[in-house]
Amino acid sequence: MWQIIKNEWYSLTRNRTLLTVSIGFVGLLIATIYLGHLQTQKNTQQYIEAKNHLRTQWESIRAMNPHGAAHYGTYVFKPANVLSSLDEGVNSITGKVLRVEGHVQNEIMYSEASQSQTISKFGKLKGALLLQYIIPLLLIFLAFQSINREKQSGRLKLLLLQGITITQLTFAKTLAVCSYGIGLLLVTISAYTILNLDNITTNIIARAGLFFLSYSLYYFILTALTVYLSARWVSTNLALTSMLGVWIFWTIFLPNMLMSSVESLHELPSREALKAAMKEDRAKGLDGHNPADERSKELEKQILEEYQVDSLSQLPINFDGIVMQEDEEIGNQVWDKHFGNLRNVFEDQKQSYQLGGIVNPFISLQNASMGLAGSDNLHHQEFLVQVENYRRVFIKELNDQHAFGGSKTGDWGWKADNDFFKSVSDFNYQPIQLSTVIGNYSIDLILLLGWGVVVSFLLISGTKKMRIQ
Amino acid sequence: MTNLKIFLWEWKHFLRSPFKIIALILFMIASVYGLHKGADLYQKQKSEIEQIDNQAQKERQKIIDDHYRTGIFRPKDQPRINYSNPYWAISRSYTYHFKNPSPAIVYSIGQCEQYGFYKQITVRASPYDSDLAEEIANPERLQTGTLDFSFAILFLLPLVLLVLVYNLKSMETEQGFIPLVEVQIPSKNTWLFLRMSFYILVSLIIIIALLLYGASLTNVFAQASNSFGQILLYSTLYLTFWSVIYFLILRNGKSILGNTLRMSAVYLLVAFIIPATVHQYVSIRQPANLMTDFIDVRDERQALYDKPDHFLQDQLLLLFPELLNSSVYHNNENLAAVRSRSAAALVNELNKTSIQTIEDEYQTKNKLIRSTFWFNPVSCFQNRFNTISKTHFDDYQNYRKDIQTLIDKQIKIMVLDLWNEVNVDESKYKKYYEYVSIK
Repeated sequence: MWQIIKNEWYSLTRNRTLLTVSIGFVGLLIATIYLGHLQTQKNTQQYIEAKNHLRTQWESIRAMNPHGAAHYGTYVFKPANVLSSLDEGVNSITGKVLRVEGHVQNEIMYSEASQSQTISKFGKLKGALLLQYIIPLLLIFLAFQSINREKQSGRLKLLLLQGITITQLTFAKTLAVCSYGIGLLLVTISAYTILNLDNITTNIIARAGLFFLSYSLYYFILTALTVYLSARWVSTNLALTSMLGVWIFWTIFLPNMLMSSVESLHELPSREALKAAMKEDRAKGLDGHNPADERSKELEKQILEEYQVDSLSQLPINFDGIVMQEDEEIGNQVWDKHFGNLRNVFEDQKQSYQLGGIVNPFISLQNASMGLAGSDNLHHQEFLVQVENYRRVFIKELNDQHAFGGSKTGDWGWKADNDFFKSVSDFNYQPIQLSTVIGNYSIDLILLLGWGVVVSFLLISGTKKMRIQ
Repeated sequence: MTNLKIFLWEWKHFLRSPFKIIALILFMIASVYGLHKGADLYQKQKSEIEQIDNQAQKERQKIIDDHYRTGIFRPKDQPRINYSNPYWAISRSYTYHFKNPSPAIVYSIGQCEQYGFYKQITVRASPYDSDLAEEIANPERLQTGTLDFSFAILFLLPLVLLVLVYNLKSMETEQGFIPLVEVQIPSKNTWLFLRMSFYILVSLIIIIALLLYGASLTNVFAQASNSFGQILLYSTLYLTFWSVIYFLILRNGKSILGNTLRMSAVYLLVAFIIPATVHQYVSIRQPANLMTDFIDVRDERQALYDKPDHFLQDQLLLLFPELLNSSVYHNNENLAAVRSRSAAALVNELNKTSIQTIEDEYQTKNKLIRSTFWFNPVSCFQNRFNTISKTHFDDYQNYRKDIQTLIDKQIKIMVLDLWNEVNVDESKYKKYYEYVSIK
């Protein structure tokens, strides 16, 4: 079997057209990774500049009322991801700027896609575009006549007479063609590694390893299926056109239709409905700007008892700050409920879409690729959660300063000094742990493995029935 | 063999090719699915707009009933509000501006899922506010792209055409029939052209049927009749573009495999690689704007409020020279409060200056994209389709411009009425939201 693989490689390298195409492909892949790297570098630089700019603005606040500062707020920018030079995923679709302020959990804004007219429906020239769409097609072209050609030239009989089984032959042909794709995959990963040597961590290595594994499995599935059809179909043209049909169906037709269907199955609320529901829930709670509110009175009673005084003016602290924080706590429950529901719907949609991998391994590959590159919706949602957690700490610090920083109730003119504002920590995004990513994408990896087993079984059982003239 | 006969014989060839028939059926299913997606979005946006408009009307009616008709201008639970004051009346006028979907959206969803289509107009608003964010959608679905009719035309039609014509001439060459064919036909090129014409005609008939079906879903003929003709024109041009490419490949190629390979390679190059490369290039040359200029208005606003009163007043007089004749200007009693509420006009000017920089950057980026259209036909056609269905970037920029015009209008009314100490009654309140609209 090893000898057949070697022979296949020799014949592939002797094909001058293929050699030219391969050189072109390697060049294109390297250029793609380089351009992706350049873009990530530029985005990172832009992100750092914007982040520093906003931090400087915050630290330059000389003196301000803490509640005024909560309204002044700050902005958090979505950082560029090193692995996104391999697969950009949802990064150009989602916003990049998030306003952090008191009373409200804002939504992320200003996506790259909204800043220009349409350019490409399939995203930028990233490694994933070539690895997902183009290389599989190349593998189909390399494999569609692999067995049929042997049959038509009469070499198949010769090979079988020499003692090799038809199963060994089909596997050898599959592995030989598949290894060509894996070779190109290796070029991609190597180019990426060389360009990102400074940023390589064990987390990135593990992600890149799984990225490599999922693509290798997909290439095996596609090649094995093509070899199988090449063995079973009488005409090579039929094998080719069938596989082209499979490619169109898997990569262009199904993902689009399934994703749209999944969104109809697990419906998201409209923005207005979400806003109205949050407003209604919020209205039931405490209005931080309305001291006449009943709940505010309860809180007042509680604080007066705690400090054993009769009126707010006797309090050694600023009651307004406590009201503001209480209002935040109630608001947080509302945001948790509604944004939590949204995240649940996204999760349901994702899980249903992942099941699409049962009929289409491309879906599993696409999911795993995005997830491992850290550019999927899961990572995006995690970023939003981290920003919201930061917002809560940020606003609490301001409200605490308002309440316990030295001012008295009703003293809205009181200002915290610059040292305080400098002491408020900045937002720092913590990347998701690999174990979480694996937990979310194990189904895709399992489905890819399952597909691998199914096509192997097809190769073993299906080719046994092959007629050899 | 006459030309007509060649053409008609192809019908028999076609009927004997189940693979070609399946490909066409799949294309039609995808297109019908896409048309329904567009029609659903059209209905969804329309009903959302209707709902918001009705809600706004209810809110306004409540204010009219509770305050203007009863004469109780200060709500008991919020005594700081005074509905007889232009500032409060305008801030509670629930004025919205909508981007009504075009019925032609059935043909191309375009960029409409990347932008909001309703916006409340207030004196503190800007066209880049967070309430103009796009509708909530799964970003992974947006990234995969919606299968709309334009997607079917731009990406599936070339593949269908490939399947329909891939073996023309080359099959006869491989089977050795070409000399036999040659003696019966005027010329090989005419023969190939006529055979291809059959498939082009079939495709065109299907496209027209699909366009008519789409038109029936959203009443295109009644409300956007021009768009039907335009979509048909660009679909035909696009079909012709691919037909010419495939014709040239088939004319010069000799084997089915070689022709299929070449046609697939051209498809991948034109539909995937070129647009993706342009996209990558553009995003390196002009990365996404993080809107720091717009954010900086926050500090400029802060600085503005710290400026002495006379500075604010001078700036307001520059903007609205009419204020020189106003009652507040001559009677100093309410000047401080009125001036402070009018400061929104100055903040609006700061916003507009920062927005101009951002929009100039957008324009440069879009100019760069447009300059690639001569070698990037898929993006060119995609944007043409989006323009026809009014879902192009420019349509949303125009929508933003309209929003800014309305904000300016509202601010001007507020400032002039505040400075002239207008007492708002029911009819004046109604005028506030009737006047602030684009007819």
